[in-house]
Amino acid sequence: MNKRATDAVDHRLISEFKAGSMEAMEKIVERYEDRIFSFGLKMCGHLQDAEDIAQETFLNAFKYLKDFREETQLKNWLFKLAATACIRKRRKKKSEPDYEISLDAFIPQNGGDAAYDIPDWSDDPADYMLRGELKKIIDGAIHSLSHKYRLVFNLRDMEGFSTQETADILGISTQSVKTRLHRARLFLREKIATAYKEGGIS
Amino acid sequence: MREECKKDFERLSEYLDGELDEAVCREIEAHFRQCPECRECVEAMKKTIRLCKAAASEQIPNDAKERLRTMLRECINCTRGQQSG
Repeated sequence: MNKRATDAVDHRLISEFKAGSMEAMEKIVERYEDRIFSFGLKMCGHLQDAEDIAQETFLNAFKYLKDFREETQLKNWLFKLAATACIRKRRKKKSEPDYEISLDAFIPQNGGDAAYDIPDWSDDPADYMLRGELKKIIDGAIHSLSHKYRLVFNLRDMEGFSTQETADILGISTQSVKTRLHRARLFLREKIATAYKEGGIS
Repeated sequence: MREECKKDFERLSEYLDGELDEAVCREIEAHFRQCPECRECVEAMKKTIRLCKAAASEQIPNDAKERLRTMLRECINCTRGQQSG
């Protein structure tokens, strides 16, 4: 389904919900719950936290749906609510403060070991065990990213939002999105290559 | 690291995301053809992104789906009850 058709379906469901249809509410949830839940899990790393994020996101969505503007895309708005829920949860948990990732740390040095052994993802069912191990490494690497970098990486590379959309969702500049994404990718490249080499993630 | 390598290293993501001008892309590609280190660097970056995307799928547990719907139904009914009452 293309973007315009998706928007048309979303806007029809929103109108039906406003007119009192609970069925429309269920359909909206069905369309986006997996993605919101998955985003919550990638951000927080725990099933319970991901469930809390999904609940808070949809609860706020239906509470404030009257404020939803027709020109806005429902998906983007839901992710804005989900990102806010993630930031709030992090504050509540009094997590470690964000740290900066320096670009200098990843600049290959002359004569240094510049080779990165990044494995390929196999779709062969025979590689099921290997895939499980690899997923653990990747999830661990993503989760070890500092929060502000993880937010940008998940929205851009995992969820496929554009630079401009990510900037709008997070309320930051497009330049900040680009900078954080580049550093996040470099960090992950390093982390995954190291963990893969050592057979586990630290 | 040479100045040219450093410059391209800094804009590697923008290059991969197609966010640079056509002329700049051609310039970067000409550099990659001559520089195995930078080529290695961009390939590793591409593989990292591909790998993370491939491993991204998560399934929401059925009991969590049910709890989400029950909570929403209760909250919405409660709000609508207050508004009509």
